[in-house]
Amino acid sequence: MSNLISLPIILPLLAGIIVAFFANKLPLARTMSKVFALINLAVTGFILYQIYQNGPIVLETGDWAAPYGIILVGDMLSITLAFTTNIVAVACVFYASRSLTEQQESYYFYSFFFLLITGVSGAFITGDIFNLFVFFEVLLMASYGLIVLGNGRAQLRESMKYVLINLFSSMIFVTTVSFLYSVVGTLNMAHIAERVQEVDQQGILTTIGILLFFVFATKAAIFPLYYWLPHSYSVPNPVVSALFGALLTKVGIYSILRVFTLIFAWEADLTHTLFIYLAAFTMLFGVIGALSTNNIKLIIAYNIIPAVGFMMMGIGVFTETSISGTVYYLIHDMVIKGALFLLVGVIAYAAGTSDLRKINGLIHHYPVLGWFFFIATLVLAGIPPFSGFIGKLLLIQGALGQEEIMIVIIALITSLLILFSMIRIFIQGFWGEKKELAHPERRQAANRMTWPIGLLLSISVLLGVGAEWFYPSVEWIGEYLMNPQIYIDSVLKE
Amino acid sequence: MLLAVLLPFIIAIFIPFLSKWKDKIHPGFIVTAVPAVIFIYFARFLGSGFEPVSREYTWIPSLNMNIAFYLDGLSLLFVLLISGIGALVAFYSIYYLHKTEQLGHFYVYFLLFMGSMLGVVLSDNVFVLYTFWEFTSLSSFLLIGYWHYKERSRYGALKSMLITIFGGLSLLGALIFMSVITGSTSIQQIIRQQELILNHEFFPLILVFILLGAFTKSAQFPFHIWLPDAMEAPTPVSAYLHSATMVKAGIFLVARFSPMLSSSDWFFIIVSSVGIVTLCWGSYMAVRQTDLKAILAFSTISQLGMIMAMLGFGTEVAVFAAVFHILNHATFKGSLFMVAGIVDHETGSRDIRKLGGLMTFLPITATLALFASFSMAGVPLPFLNGFYSKELFFDAAIHFEQTTTGFIAFLKTAFPYLAVLGSIFTFVYSMYFFFGTFRGNANVDELPKKPHEAPMGMLVSPMILVAGVIIIGLFPQLINEPFIHHAASAVKGFELRVHHIKFWHGIKLPLIMSLTVIAFGTVLVLSMTKWKGIYRFIPGVLSLNTFYDGLVDRTVSYSSALTKGYMNGSVGRYVRLIVGAIIIGSFGIMAATNGFHLETGNLAEVKLTEVFVAIMMVIAAIGTIIVRNRIAAILILGVVGYGLSLLFVIYRAPDLALTQFIIETVTLALFLLVFYHLPKFENHTHSAKTKTFNLIISIGFGALMTMVAISAHSSKMFDSIASYFIENSYKLGGGDNIVNVILVDMRGLDTLFEITVLGIAAMAIYGLIRLRGNRKGD
Amino acid sequence: MEIIMAVLAGILFTTAVYNLLQKQMLRIIIGTALLSHGAHLFILTMGELKRGAPPILSEGVEQYTDPLPQALILTSIVISFGITSLLLVLAYRTSKINGTDNMEQLRGNDYE
Repeated sequence: MSNLISLPIILPLLAGIIVAFFANKLPLARTMSKVFALINLAVTGFILYQIYQNGPIVLETGDWAAPYGIILVGDMLSITLAFTTNIVAVACVFYASRSLTEQQESYYFYSFFFLLITGVSGAFITGDIFNLFVFFEVLLMASYGLIVLGNGRAQLRESMKYVLINLFSSMIFVTTVSFLYSVVGTLNMAHIAERVQEVDQQGILTTIGILLFFVFATKAAIFPLYYWLPHSYSVPNPVVSALFGALLTKVGIYSILRVFTLIFAWEADLTHTLFIYLAAFTMLFGVIGALSTNNIKLIIAYNIIPAVGFMMMGIGVFTETSISGTVYYLIHDMVIKGALFLLVGVIAYAAGTSDLRKINGLIHHYPVLGWFFFIATLVLAGIPPFSGFIGKLLLIQGALGQEEIMIVIIALITSLLILFSMIRIFIQGFWGEKKELAHPERRQAANRMTWPIGLLLSISVLLGVGAEWFYPSVEWIGEYLMNPQIYIDSVLKE
Repeated sequence: MLLAVLLPFIIAIFIPFLSKWKDKIHPGFIVTAVPAVIFIYFARFLGSGFEPVSREYTWIPSLNMNIAFYLDGLSLLFVLLISGIGALVAFYSIYYLHKTEQLGHFYVYFLLFMGSMLGVVLSDNVFVLYTFWEFTSLSSFLLIGYWHYKERSRYGALKSMLITIFGGLSLLGALIFMSVITGSTSIQQIIRQQELILNHEFFPLILVFILLGAFTKSAQFPFHIWLPDAMEAPTPVSAYLHSATMVKAGIFLVARFSPMLSSSDWFFIIVSSVGIVTLCWGSYMAVRQTDLKAILAFSTISQLGMIMAMLGFGTEVAVFAAVFHILNHATFKGSLFMVAGIVDHETGSRDIRKLGGLMTFLPITATLALFASFSMAGVPLPFLNGFYSKELFFDAAIHFEQTTTGFIAFLKTAFPYLAVLGSIFTFVYSMYFFFGTFRGNANVDELPKKPHEAPMGMLVSPMILVAGVIIIGLFPQLINEPFIHHAASAVKGFELRVHHIKFWHGIKLPLIMSLTVIAFGTVLVLSMTKWKGIYRFIPGVLSLNTFYDGLVDRTVSYSSALTKGYMNGSVGRYVRLIVGAIIIGSFGIMAATNGFHLETGNLAEVKLTEVFVAIMMVIAAIGTIIVRNRIAAILILGVVGYGLSLLFVIYRAPDLALTQFIIETVTLALFLLVFYHLPKFENHTHSAKTKTFNLIISIGFGALMTMVAISAHSSKMFDSIASYFIENSYKLGGGDNIVNVILVDMRGLDTLFEITVLGIAAMAIYGLIRLRGNRKGD
Repeated sequence: MEIIMAVLAGILFTTAVYNLLQKQMLRIIIGTALLSHGAHLFILTMGELKRGAPPILSEGVEQYTDPLPQALILTSIVISFGITSLLLVLAYRTSKINGTDNMEQLRGNDYE
């Protein structure tokens, strides 16, 4: 039964390997990929249901008891995120064949795609800190494969930077894990947590924690470590950007959330207060970046950063409400960032450029695309009753409960500026006089690309309007994360 | 009640389908029916025995976000305004908007707005209130941008959105804060626990946040600048949203929270000052305008200021006058907007300089305008409702509770004069509007269209509104006890005694003030050409608009400058910043937690061979920097790798040594292969300054990691789990080589995915080599 | 000895970062290689050095060196190798297609 929890990792791994053999038979590879993605979603959904009903699943791989072997922990947090990952994946796989060239597809796009899902799901599910490093490498390597796909000039240039920065942080990661091992003598996260708590997180431990934070913060794109992100995320194919924007930074945030609620939770006055400051700067600098450009892909890429700031704010405030807010925001942001990158992909494709100054009046020809974008804007800006609002509401409630006034004011200003940066695209790009299209022949393909986005948007709307169906679980996750002993007990069973 | 609020939304869903048959039937007819039905539904609540009604429907109970409605006198006033004026405007729009327009869009936005506005005034739950609040801003945005092919429409839409959503977010902050403090999301519950909020240390902040929300929405000075630009919307929208209903949402909000806030001195100071300033400024600026709708826009601003001021005064008579004026303003201003629309529609121009003498061409319209504008001016005639509320306003401005001294006392002395001043200009622009349009010489030839009277359908709605003006004027008691009285009581928070509305009070101060207004006003109207030059010296709103434009432009240009300043694409710069942050952050934390720790008791002894290997590696590592020849640098890198492999041998890690040796060799070969094929480009080095800086960063980082490593090694607080592996390697793992057993068995998952990483790398490299990229970017 | 090793690894990190900050692509990649060497040395040092025999079970040996760091290093070496190879090919393609191996010139702008 507990073997179930390995499926979200193993299935995409197998799918990635299988489709690699059919790389030259594109129609078959496409169909298989869609089927695999749907199967993954269904299986993850089933496991989610199981865990929701029966509590966490802990798998000791190879039957080596914790804390000696590697364990996989399927709790509500990890499985919910893995499930959301698969939702985004399904939308992307249906979008991919229309957005990529056949050449790109046949150079293992689908394999990289599934292996990326493997790495992301693995990172969510593993309960071992070194194994987390390994899954980080899997997802990074797959992302390297995806980002260079196409070998465009700008693409190669940005890939170079992307690989370098990530390689750098990976090396700090593995080194820091060994430091941690030296102090607490174990790699199992529950075991580490237990031991760190036992010695009250004294001495060098907090410094080790902060080094880990910097590693994750580089992936999560937190101030002042996000510089590599915007351009790297805006140059690849939209479907790749969507996967990156929706999933990669979120793995970083997830890791911070896990590690700083479970392990390094005992010097919160110091570390978590620092997070609040960083959150404030992340929001401001991110949204300022989003206002700085007329490249629509870059605007979306920059908008990843303030969202990360919102999530950090919840971790920094560190109460049950605020942590629930972070989790809700995390789920919401995965979905909406995926949708947005796919949307601007269609816009840029339909208009033949991603320079906003050269796009206008699109709504006359692409009404559905226009209204999708408008709704996505509202979702992102946190206008009720959409999903962004619920997360923001919880985060602000949490912060005001602790009387963290400054961060709330900054969060509110940031919301306004996010809306401004997005509505510019709507006003400038969609409104305006009716003109002949630059690429009328692309209309059919563009319209087909629009529909998978509908899936993501309807989930965003559902997460907001139907929050009653989701929030109790998220609230529960918040309580669960604030009581690390539950996790420790479920893993170590002592 | 839920159905009444949801009805507009439900019908809105069907509008796109209906508009397919718009050649046969104008969708406006169906839309008119919606508010009419709602009006009838709520009208039955009218009556002197009215009691507040509340309803609650579950939505998101776990977040305390339920659709709770609370219908008291105040909500009832607004609900009837929204639905009543809504029906009239929808009917009017049928004749105003031609079938060639995108009617579907228009009516969807229109219904969205109506439903949201009903939601705002009925909601008792703060979050639901906020939801509807933002939706009124959004539908207003879409309606202003309805003719989005016009540059001005896009500009106005963005401006209104930025300002009102700014206020909305500020309101959100206040609402969440209040709900956190009181632990309740119901407005009535919050007001009942007002002590908690009034005595909270952050009360001033909450107050300011609420008021920012109200002032932006209700176009109070200095946030009023969006309203004139909102006039780009079709005229029915201006009449409905931007005069009768949406802009009164801010007033509603202040009124709603009045029972709680009005006991605060700050509430009095801020609200009444802002209101009075808005009144004076709006009326002063209205005279300056040449566009009919712009005159009305500034007039709306000024009237909203007057209502706001009265809410700020907070006395019983002031509050009564405020709610009374909300109703009166909706009647006369609504009809004036419709008149402006008719003039525009029938002459093709709204420029008052071109218009004039239209009375002969549009006699009915002119008559309607006459009543409405004289009512607005507050001319003391017993059949104009405007006079009643204006006189009550003067009454309120001179009867304050004599309590405090200091600044508040000063304000209380100044307000009557300012009230008169504002009213003088109100008189002036009302006359200017009417006489400028309908009297004087007609220059029909300059107008785009030959003017003639509007079709009957278009006149019905303004006629009904003007009838309202007259009926309220003649029989003010009709709406007093069953209606206005309840609204005023709701604002004060307790049952007021019934205020008697009378035309003739005897010669008292308010009447004298009214007469002063008329006397001065008439003089100013007659001598207008002589003093209009003053507007050249006090450009007024222009500077605020310049400020807004500058702010928006600067936000974008400063963002651009700031972002391009550090996001320059240089990976070296990024690494410097990232490493710098890590150094500062980690050293900071290390210092704060006293993390550094050194223990020399438990160390392996120092051996010469190892030291020798170490020194060799150091020299080689430094060599990679110094050596200029590329091939040499690669070979020197090899020395470091092989040195490491040697260390692995010395430190009892045979498997590692072997692996490291092989991999180092392969890597070196790869290095050489790649750089052999790569043409030699020119040598590039940094400036001396950058080099020094890089050196500091590098040393800092190396030192940091070394110090953490030493501390970590010196504080081994627990036994390692390694002993388990050593014990069980053979017993359970079946192998002698413990490292191998760990890799393939205990940590087999690591190894599986390590191989996966290699596989992916192989595929990626294959793609990199084989796939021909295009050189043009992407 | 552990302290000397920690210092050595620190020096490797120092030279690695310095190389990373250079303009020439080759230096940057050399930097990444040094970085992984430094990391592996750190990991090795974190297990206790020379406290017993190599971790291969044999008769009569009571104490073994901590095998776990060694296993981690082995995993890490393989992964680093994969990345370094990819990086080399990527660098090759990038400098070919862009006509320069100066990273400072590979900046780009918002619109391409």
